[in-house]
Amino acid sequence: MSPGYPAFSKNNWRHMKKQPEQKTLKVFVSLLSITIVFSLAQFLWAAPKLVPSKAKSGDCSACHVQKKMLPDKHPDTKAMNLEACKACHTKDNLNLTGKLPGSHTHQLIGVNCEKCHGKSKKQEALTMEKCVACHGSTAKLAEKTKNVKPSNPHTSPHYGTELDCNLCHHQHAKSENYCAQCHKFAYKTP
Amino acid sequence: MKKDDVTEKTLSRRNFLKTAGGVAAVAGLATSGIPLMAEQAEAAGDALPKKWDETYDVVVIGSGFAGLSAAIEAKSAGASVVVIEKMPVHGGNSIINGGDFCAPGTKMQKENGVQDSPELMLKDMLRAGAYLNHPDLAKMVAFNAKDALEWTESYLGSKYTRLNFHGGHSVKRAHGTVNSSGSEVVNKELAKAREIGVKVQMRTKLVRFLSNKDGRIVGIEVRTGYRFPDEGSGKTAFIKARKAVVLSSGGFSRDVALRQVHDPRLTERFESTNHPGATGEAIQAACLAKAMDVQMDWIQLGPWTSPDEKGFGYVPLFCERLVGYGPMINPKTGKRFFKETGNRKERADAIILVGDPVIIMGDSYAVPKQVMATMLQKGMEAGAIKKFDTLEVVAKEYNIPVDIFIREIARWNSFVEKKKDDDFDCMIFKDAKPTVTAPFYAARLWPKVHHTMGGLVINKDAHVVGFDMKPVKGLYAAGEVTGGVHGAVRLGGVAMADCIVFGRIAGKNAAAEKPWG
Repeated sequence: MSPGYPAFSKNNWRHMKKQPEQKTLKVFVSLLSITIVFSLAQFLWAAPKLVPSKAKSGDCSACHVQKKMLPDKHPDTKAMNLEACKACHTKDNLNLTGKLPGSHTHQLIGVNCEKCHGKSKKQEALTMEKCVACHGSTAKLAEKTKNVKPSNPHTSPHYGTELDCNLCHHQHAKSENYCAQCHKFAYKTP
Repeated sequence: MKKDDVTEKTLSRRNFLKTAGGVAAVAGLATSGIPLMAEQAEAAGDALPKKWDETYDVVVIGSGFAGLSAAIEAKSAGASVVVIEKMPVHGGNSIINGGDFCAPGTKMQKENGVQDSPELMLKDMLRAGAYLNHPDLAKMVAFNAKDALEWTESYLGSKYTRLNFHGGHSVKRAHGTVNSSGSEVVNKELAKAREIGVKVQMRTKLVRFLSNKDGRIVGIEVRTGYRFPDEGSGKTAFIKARKAVVLSSGGFSRDVALRQVHDPRLTERFESTNHPGATGEAIQAACLAKAMDVQMDWIQLGPWTSPDEKGFGYVPLFCERLVGYGPMINPKTGKRFFKETGNRKERADAIILVGDPVIIMGDSYAVPKQVMATMLQKGMEAGAIKKFDTLEVVAKEYNIPVDIFIREIARWNSFVEKKKDDDFDCMIFKDAKPTVTAPFYAARLWPKVHHTMGGLVINKDAHVVGFDMKPVKGLYAAGEVTGGVHGAVRLGGVAMADCIVFGRIAGKNAAAEKPWG
């Protein structure tokens, strides 16, 4: 109970009268605090804290405050960027493809939240024009991946080259293979 | 207004609970909220929102053939139009459809020496539909299909390069798009719609229709920023439809619960060739707004699909080219069990009765001759079509009693020799030869849900009809969400015709409605 709560004398007649009300209040307060703790915990565990713009890109704990993200034996990544990760995580060994949400890879090469979402406080979902602005035209990309088996992932009879990048390459969740809803294309989506 | 209070309260509690992680509780609140609203609607229409978030003359639900055709026609008639789509991409089933458009009496048919007429197409549709088709609706499709096809060519710039045949039609009348996909039409519709000023908005899901006290549909409640299939996602918004709403949300082949209400056999065991969003909540929302549904239990299964690949896959193109050339075998008995050239419904029902996947097979005479090489290769790469050196290995692979199987193949071969099937009356083609040449090819078959013939009742103006047998004011519908056009069986290639014919009618008539406010 909060220290500022007025104390009642045990011998005071008002005490007798107040008690039932106090009990209700107690139940209410404890329910409320359970709810608050629960929602706070949910918030902390489920959603990583929004990255402070000055945080170093390899500093997991800057956002994942409550949870250790890497195994105990993993070297400290605070000072690392994507190049440094690649010293161990090569194409053939411990490949990182598909392991990190796209925003993390972006962050590790210095493309932070603001660079895509701007400085606005209320950051909104982006269209693929934003991706194309840095990564180049979708037609060029499709040309680059034309030999990928079993089928070029960047063009299809359905959407041509214009399927939104974000449907596969999620930035804030694990990437997925959108084609796999209907096709058996075993792509590893970065 | 009382209803608004209910909505607001639900919303604020919903937001609170969402942060607390009470998703289940939210679902409970949301569902318990709906019947309450429906009850109130019974008495005096829906309480309308104090403020509409957006206002258009015509609001179109769904961005497939039907919806975009409606949107283009409504916009061309001078209406302001929005198209909402619940999925993150446009096109629904239309964009994964095979691109065959049936129309009679066309230029391409004449060039190919095919004699055809709307009367003949109508006759085919009615016969296949077991005469359950609403004749005036089927007639609208048969008699307007040619004009609709030409509209996609001249107005949208879609290209058709082949004339294909589909079972149940008397003649070749399926005009195949240049890329063998409905995307050739639906992508050009989307481009045209945007070009003429139609707003097309993805990730926006219909929640319910709103009607005023006269029972007229005046707008819809939606969730914007909806992320399929997360029902808790998105924000509530209200869109006012000054003239009309056009519902073109497609069928419910992927809605296991709803399809089981109408055909209890269709459990999760049956996959679907449809896109994942082909669910029935929009039909149900329309029924809650007093629209009538019809023939909901006529659900078409494709008998040519494989359980060893996803979606439509490659096996249908293997199976359908082989029927009449090779046998279909029930692995449990080692014997044939049905007429290979029977129609979709007969064959699917026969396989379901067998209870487990069956196989279709052909030899090295029939397969290379009949099956497109690239499709065969892709089907084999996917592991759905397999190649065997001997019949004994085929038997071993599929657990078939080998002696009976070898005798059954010999029996089939004797029918092929005399071009007459004494057991099941399968149509055996003139150039068919006995199945003897190794290697052999085989694929497993298990039906997938393909098309829902039933849906909302419409009249020939695409106006939705209610349970009081009168048109529901302000509500039009077109495409697979409607019922009655196809009766018991939709013939291959008629879906495109249906969607585009009735989509255009719905759009024109919606734009011609008098604004209510």
